[in-house]
Amino acid sequence: MEFLEWFMPTVWFVILALFLLLYVILDGFDLGVGILSLTSPSESQRTILMTSLGNVWDANETWLVLMGGALFGAFPLAYGTILKALYGPIYLMILGLILRAVAFEFRENATNKRPWNLMFGIGSVLAAGSQGICLGTVLSGIPTDAAGHFTGSAWIWVNPSSLVVALTLIQGYVLIGSTYLILKTSGELQRLHVRTARLANATTLGGALLITFTAPFASEALRQRLFDPAFLPFFVVLPLLGVALIVQLFRSLAMQQEAWPFVYTVLLFILSFAGLGVMVFPAVIPPSVTIFQASSSVSSMVFMLTFIGVLIPIMLFYNIYNYIAFRGKVSAE
Amino acid sequence: MLATLDVVTLSRLQFALTAIFHMLWPVLSTGLAIYLVVLEAIWLRTRNPLYYRQARFWAKLYVLNFGIGVASGLPMEFQFGTNWAPLSEFAGDFFGSVLGFEGAMAFMLEAGFLGIMLFGWQKVPPVIHFLSTVMVAFGANLSVFWILSANSWLQTPSGGTFSQGHFHVQNYFAAINNPFMVRSVIHMALATVETSMLVVAAISAWSLMRRKAPEFFLFSFKLALVILLAVAPLQILAGHESAVQVAEHQPTKLAAIEALWDDQAAGSSPDWTVLASPDETSGSNRWSLSVPGAFSWILETRPQLSQPLRGLNSWPADQRPHMVGLLFYAFRVMVAIGLAAAALMALSLLLWWRGGLSAASFAQWPWFSWAWILSAPAGYLAIESGWVVRCVGRQPWTVYGQLRTADAASVLPVGEVLTSLSVFAVLYTVLLVFALYFGSRIIAKGPNLTLEPPPGLATAVILSDPSAST
Repeated sequence: MEFLEWFMPTVWFVILALFLLLYVILDGFDLGVGILSLTSPSESQRTILMTSLGNVWDANETWLVLMGGALFGAFPLAYGTILKALYGPIYLMILGLILRAVAFEFRENATNKRPWNLMFGIGSVLAAGSQGICLGTVLSGIPTDAAGHFTGSAWIWVNPSSLVVALTLIQGYVLIGSTYLILKTSGELQRLHVRTARLANATTLGGALLITFTAPFASEALRQRLFDPAFLPFFVVLPLLGVALIVQLFRSLAMQQEAWPFVYTVLLFILSFAGLGVMVFPAVIPPSVTIFQASSSVSSMVFMLTFIGVLIPIMLFYNIYNYIAFRGKVSAE
Repeated sequence: MLATLDVVTLSRLQFALTAIFHMLWPVLSTGLAIYLVVLEAIWLRTRNPLYYRQARFWAKLYVLNFGIGVASGLPMEFQFGTNWAPLSEFAGDFFGSVLGFEGAMAFMLEAGFLGIMLFGWQKVPPVIHFLSTVMVAFGANLSVFWILSANSWLQTPSGGTFSQGHFHVQNYFAAINNPFMVRSVIHMALATVETSMLVVAAISAWSLMRRKAPEFFLFSFKLALVILLAVAPLQILAGHESAVQVAEHQPTKLAAIEALWDDQAAGSSPDWTVLASPDETSGSNRWSLSVPGAFSWILETRPQLSQPLRGLNSWPADQRPHMVGLLFYAFRVMVAIGLAAAALMALSLLLWWRGGLSAASFAQWPWFSWAWILSAPAGYLAIESGWVVRCVGRQPWTVYGQLRTADAASVLPVGEVLTSLSVFAVLYTVLLVFALYFGSRIIAKGPNLTLEPPPGLATAVILSDPSAST
């Protein structure tokens, strides 16, 4: 039992991180393409952008729903405390995702596509930005009382560091959206997104540097973790690997490769997430509430794991099948 | 106004508004998916392009509906954390797990195969496409199961113990299979099929009335009617069973939906109130129209009550639902629509049987067409009314008998909730208007009657080989 009390919350922390990572990568390129659609030079090109998402966007968004449900079941205290603290940005994100989704469907049927184009792009920006604000706020810490209940103000998410994370996430989504489009399009559209990818890669470098150097000032807990000798090698190697990937991505774009830019971007996302995960673990409500305090009962986590654990490979299987079925360039139909 | 609104009321209003709006969309995602499975099976069997066009046309409405359903579902999930944090903490062990299962089992299945179902006609072999359609329908219906299991647990919590402000699960299967679960899942699953088929029948009737694509829509109508004839009688039975379980487990709700103020002894035969004007201050009905001695017949199909029934007046005011008028009439609206729809189906069957149901009938008898057209919004109204009865009738509890709604709500600044509530009210009104506008455009445009099935079909089909399937 002792073992399970340590093991199960850890497993669920990893599963949640996996769901969140999958969401950020997969819906990340959806939202990135959504943001990029604002710059599409013509309606037919925008249609290609939208078509590239048609078969995947709602499955991709479902990883967020799944993450929410799993967080609720595995760490009910964290679900209540974090969402309550992030009331504003959570609803802004929901608003953005609703606008994005309905604009997608309405545009299909509309004669005048302009209002829906605008709504699609703005919804994507809003969703991406508020996700960044949520992430930034959680990383800098959510004040709680001894029982783990939120004690901060309703405006806790309005601060410079969450703004930095929000901007970094937005351009990160633009980067992964661009490299996805390099993979899925050809000709003029592809060349355009090589340019946007290059730009976003440069801002990624800037954002990563900014976050790396400002993270120690965001909170005492982060400072301690970053300079903890046990973790020091990790936090030295991580940025170096990140820079190497960014350089590699620039080279790949210069060589006009089609698939590798997307792969490097995904690796960059995984690397950043590994970094964030190690920064906060074992806290689930940083800085002070750990996964062990916030978890549901061991039996509950075992029960969920038997159901959801079995389903994870199955879900991955049919999602991958979906991508394989639609592989290749998108054509305007 | 602002001063009188407390945050619990605002959070309840927001949940009610978002739930009522959200409920409009999964109905078709669930029920129409089954119709699409049937159409595709017929098409694979016969290889008649008519059925392929059927599948493609109804799928157009399906996708418009689906996107709004996915989007409007997000606030449902996240509200448990933002506005109902104490509930999340109280019941997260079980309630959260169930929402997790729903995501992993149902939503992902539905969303993961939707892309192939909608856009994959040329990308995958027909058998895989059919399998995808089946998975979409299966996923959607699994979400009915999980949502209704979770909601039923709030109605009849079981499978564990309550202590120190938490629910501790002892037996998950008992919690999932709580007393309300089976009958509620059946009632809701039938409701989505019935209302979806009413929508198909209504659109078909409208088109037939205007003499648009008669062959196409007569088939849609008849197929929907056949399914309706199977489902509607079962639904009346399931509805009755749901009322019986309410009488058994939630006496306060039963008393409210029947505006029953005074206790009724076992062995008595109380009147059944058809219409009334319930007055909560005096604890009686201002006037009522009732059928003498009918109550026990309706509830128990016997002349006398076998169990005593407690009236609303016998409960302390803080242990029973209020808004009795709303509950009383919402229940009656639901039942009346269910019965009226069944009567319309019976009439249509009679016409069909007597050889009088043709494409021309709809133009010839506008009243008949209009009865069918109006049955679609009525179907939605019945579902919404049912949910009002179910959830308003559960008050003042969120977890029946265990956690009060007032204690389940997050303590939040009033302005915050008022803002999100107002944004939802405006946004959802606009979305509904545009969804109806674009939906009616799809209907007005009608099916593409020259659409050809994907080429190369003959080579890859196993299911459609007549010799293999006979």
